[in-house]
Amino acid sequence: MTGPVATTITTTINGAEHRIDRADGRMLLDVLRDDLGLTGAKYGCGMAQCGACTVLVDGRPARACVLRTGRVAGRNITTLEGLAEPDGRLHPVQQAFLECEGAQCGYCLNGMVMTTLALLADTPAPTEAEIRDALRHNLCRCGTHTEIIASARRAAELMGDRNA
Amino acid sequence: MPETAPLEVRDASGRTFLSLDATGHVTGYCGHVDLGTGVQTALSQIVAEELDLPLERVTMVLGDTSRTPDQGPTIASETIQVSSVPLRQAAATLRAALLDRARLRLNAPREALAIEAGRIHHAERCLGYGDLIETPGEWLEIDPEAPLKPAAEFRLVGQKTGRRDLPDKLVGAHEFIHDVVVAGMVHGHVVRPPYAGRDSGDFVGTSLIGYDEAAVADMPGFIAIVREGDFLGAVAERSDQARAIAEALPVQWRMPPPLPDMGDLAGTIRAQPATPRVLDTTGSIDKGLDASDRVLRRSYVWPYHLHGSIGPSCSVADWNDGAPILWTGSQNPHMLRGDLATLTGLPPERIDVRRHQAAGCYGRNCADDVGGDALLMSRAVGRPVRVQLTRAQETLWEPKGAGQIMDVEGGLKDGALHAYRLDTWYPSNRGPNLALLLTGAIGNEPRPVPMGDRTVVPPYSIPNKRITVHDLAPIVRAAWMRGVSALPNTFAHECFIDEMAAEAGADPVAFRLKHVADPRQAELIRQTAEKAGWSEQAGPRLRREGRMAYGQGFAFATYVHGDFPGTAAASAAWVCAVAIDTQTGEVTLSRVFVGQDQGLVINPDGVRQQIHGNVHQTAGRVLNESVSFDAITPTQKSWADYSVIRMDEVPEVETLLIERPDEPPLGVGESAAVPSAAAISNAIFDATGVRMREAPFTPERMRAALREAGYDAVAVDAAPAPRPRRGLWRRAALALGTIGSALTVGAVGIPTARSLPPVTPPPASSFSAELLEQGRQVFATGNCSHCHTAVGGAANAGGLAVETPFGTIWTTNITPDPETGLGRWSFAAFDRAMRRGISRDGSNLYPAFPYTSFAGMSDEDMFALYAYMQTLEPVRSETPKPQMLAPTNLRLANAGWNLLFHQNRRLEPDPAQSAEWNRGRYLVETVGHCSACHSPRNALAATKDGAAHLTGAMVKGWYAPPIAGPQAAARGWDKDAFAAYLKSGHASGIASAAGPMADVVANLQEVESADLDAMATYLASLTADAAPVRPAPEPAPAPMLNTATHRLFENACAVCHEPALEGIVTAAQVPLGQSMAVRAPSPETAEIVIREGLRAPDALDLADMPGFAAELSETQIADLARYLRARYAPDLPAWPEP
Repeated sequence: MTGPVATTITTTINGAEHRIDRADGRMLLDVLRDDLGLTGAKYGCGMAQCGACTVLVDGRPARACVLRTGRVAGRNITTLEGLAEPDGRLHPVQQAFLECEGAQCGYCLNGMVMTTLALLADTPAPTEAEIRDALRHNLCRCGTHTEIIASARRAAELMGDRNA
Repeated sequence: MPETAPLEVRDASGRTFLSLDATGHVTGYCGHVDLGTGVQTALSQIVAEELDLPLERVTMVLGDTSRTPDQGPTIASETIQVSSVPLRQAAATLRAALLDRARLRLNAPREALAIEAGRIHHAERCLGYGDLIETPGEWLEIDPEAPLKPAAEFRLVGQKTGRRDLPDKLVGAHEFIHDVVVAGMVHGHVVRPPYAGRDSGDFVGTSLIGYDEAAVADMPGFIAIVREGDFLGAVAERSDQARAIAEALPVQWRMPPPLPDMGDLAGTIRAQPATPRVLDTTGSIDKGLDASDRVLRRSYVWPYHLHGSIGPSCSVADWNDGAPILWTGSQNPHMLRGDLATLTGLPPERIDVRRHQAAGCYGRNCADDVGGDALLMSRAVGRPVRVQLTRAQETLWEPKGAGQIMDVEGGLKDGALHAYRLDTWYPSNRGPNLALLLTGAIGNEPRPVPMGDRTVVPPYSIPNKRITVHDLAPIVRAAWMRGVSALPNTFAHECFIDEMAAEAGADPVAFRLKHVADPRQAELIRQTAEKAGWSEQAGPRLRREGRMAYGQGFAFATYVHGDFPGTAAASAAWVCAVAIDTQTGEVTLSRVFVGQDQGLVINPDGVRQQIHGNVHQTAGRVLNESVSFDAITPTQKSWADYSVIRMDEVPEVETLLIERPDEPPLGVGESAAVPSAAAISNAIFDATGVRMREAPFTPERMRAALREAGYDAVAVDAAPAPRPRRGLWRRAALALGTIGSALTVGAVGIPTARSLPPVTPPPASSFSAELLEQGRQVFATGNCSHCHTAVGGAANAGGLAVETPFGTIWTTNITPDPETGLGRWSFAAFDRAMRRGISRDGSNLYPAFPYTSFAGMSDEDMFALYAYMQTLEPVRSETPKPQMLAPTNLRLANAGWNLLFHQNRRLEPDPAQSAEWNRGRYLVETVGHCSACHSPRNALAATKDGAAHLTGAMVKGWYAPPIAGPQAAARGWDKDAFAAYLKSGHASGIASAAGPMADVVANLQEVESADLDAMATYLASLTADAAPVRPAPEPAPAPMLNTATHRLFENACAVCHEPALEGIVTAAQVPLGQSMAVRAPSPETAEIVIREGLRAPDALDLADMPGFAAELSETQIADLARYLRARYAPDLPAWPEP
């Protein structure tokens, strides 16, 4: 049996605990960007179609533009800002996108990085076909696909090195 | 170090291009902007190279009107080719001056000085650049004679150089325009007129009749409604509040006039008023055609495209007491400043436009428009205002890449092109700022701009030519987009020459070379064909393997930009390979090899990236993209029905950069896009013998063209599911539109039973806590508050409309309000209503209220419920009178119904069953009244029992699926599944609660776990007898033909319903193959879910789904529902077409 639903929720974002009002049904993306100043996740379509807003919830990708804050109570959220080491060293996936220049304008970059991270958690050494398949719901309009695919391959190598 | 004024380098009119500070750091200024192509890095390389500085000691400032020179809009790939020229000369001027000063200071001959990393050395002594600043405020004028560094000495230019903006972008620290925050900033949301995407006609700026500010003034965060002409917007403290207010604001607009028939694009464009401009009259076209052996006439059609920036436009404006500051993602900061001056009446110098990077734009999108929006709202409220357009606003209103028509007539004589006539229509202009149009600051007359002439002359020697551009105003808002008119013009040139080569029986590459006079172009064609492995051919090769056809295509172009005759940017050639499924018409672009001659290469990685980007983007444009229109406006509002190329569709790309280090650098931002359409069309011809002359080459168009050419019809396994059996539908229709379960006001005016007197109920304090807790659980199990609370209304105060086959009734107020609720009801009156369906005043209650179930309740539960309900918060709220059809409003009808269908008796335990089973049965059959929704009803709306009991029904458009009998068993329902579902709303692999059932489960969270287990035990017993050994497997999805609806599913639905990765948090919890909305007898439930989405109750850990009512048309929704049925329930009959 549960009591009445609480009007605020507690959630962990990039390791820090936050209390967020759930009553007004705002989307996680708005809260991250407008209230918490975490602007790595981008608004692209508001309908989960483009992937620019992707964050990780308990390590799994989520489209923050359609995820009400009430749905992340007690969850662990990671945004693009939370990937690098505290000393500034990039996460291997970020490092790979830097080396392979996996961005032109960079607006879709957040979603590409976050989704690649989730892919590599499941499939540490993906084939090119698996990379293409995993990223098929992340839109890029600049046509950076070649570099993004290369970045994801490089990310798998760097993650392998780190875990070796 | 003491602060020293920097040393600047300016042009003759005093515009600063470079400044050197005392630390030796150089800042370059360029009026162009970085559209995401990396020109910021390339410009830094140019400056650092000329000054022998490490790259990190150069900063570029781009497109900031108070600091950078006005160099026009960032278009036509001119930044490197045109705008970098004075910058490089400024750097050379500075270098020469610094060397001169060092010579004097070091007392050394100039040739003895060496420069290394921004320091000038002679023997043991050295001076930094910053040390050579002499007088404060001094500046140098650009010396056009200052010697430029020879290419042979380059060490940065031509080298792989990482993008300088990337490290910040990778950690979320780069400040895109969308990320700009200004102190005191509030948020605006625009309300656009109904003539989306239109820019001329007397209705533009004059269609707003009125709006009702009072209706929204109390909404949270409200600051103001701002109106000027047809400009309308809401300002609020928070962005989501501004949007909510804007969407709630009642507005009246005049109905806009229709568009011409955009379905007949070619006919409509040709019929518009246009001014012909003849640009090339070499020889005599008429004589040339007369003298030809073979003459072909062809028409090529190019569709409207979206720029489709991934980030909808955003801007922040601060009116700043009449000295405005605008933060923008514009491509044209100086042009925008001029527009804002016109909008506000301020001199341009008073306005400071600060450019931030935006999402890649590829041309004129809404970035400038949103600046006007923000400034109007900031001026009105006196605070900085940020405006973020929605995806729909951006998509509907962006000036599109224009449709274009090319008519070609050409002749072949003695195996060579002898005559070529081209007429082209390009209905586009520069996209006047929307705020100027909406406010009436500029007129709403049509504005043609002559930009249809890019690469309008084919790059071939032809003795007789007549090239005519028909200049015309936009039909819908349109402006330049990557490749501008050069891409469609080249589609015509390069397809036509391919046709001529085939007519001449010549290899397409050899045929082109025969007509090319320019040696650089010839070299590019030759090298590209050779390195790409071009196979010589004379006519189409028609290579086939089974139903697949394979082909190669060639095309080439020099992108010519600027006013005619224009300036040449880089030349590019494509060799591409396609694979075509001759049955489904799907074209796969498997490989693209691009050769490009861009003169000096500044950053080879940057050039290659631009080639890749051009290939992928235009491949998508050519194969799939087109804007569609209804009678009045463009129709697309999201990515759902506008397919950009995806990661799993992009081709392999190989590049060949022709080495020309001694030639000036040429723009590379668009060139590789220009041959795309023709190369792909030519490859399709090689594979199939079919010529595609209208883009995009969608599967539908390919199928039609292949059928016409005699290819086999679509195979059965790719066909849509068979048509439905009609008879079933008539029967199912009887079950439609039945009823929910609520206590409804008497259907009859005259009481058929005696009235029970009003009383003052016992005070709440007289009930024990245990009794009230028991009542609370009964109340939750009965889901009472759900039906007795109107949408947006006070809890339990009734007023929810219930549509029944016999009319509309409204649920009653069950709070203890003495006048309008149950506040004067005795227990006897309550008990009679609950068990016999008779209201306190003696009138009969309509059986939408499930008293037939409640009659079985125990006396203890009934009293506990009564007690608990007397403690609810009283709310005064009258219940509307029911509107019933005859004969249900006649006095005896309900009484007669009761006689037929109602047995008023307590449910007795079955001694043969366990206590838990009996408890579950009691809850399911009485308090829980599951049968009210889950049992089919007869023609008189009575629930059926026996074998039909709990075997599924449609309720208010929602499908309440079978929870008993063989169908439920086949879906896998057992005790564990029922228990999980009742406790969490989710039974793994079987179902997630949605719609009204989600609220039921949310209320069940108040109920003891043991009771939910008991319900599961009982329900499982109803499936057990009928249970198959194993549940029926989910049917395999049917293969679907690639249609517009298929693509809509892939674009809008697949992300959550066919997710690319396991465990996506926002994905659906139940596969569509098991969705009861898809397996329902009729499409209503699926359509409701698509339209309205799902919003799971807060108490349950279930997924939401966004609704698509605002994005999709009713036709699209109906088609999508039927697509889901055919794909995911192929074992069930198809739903009838709407």
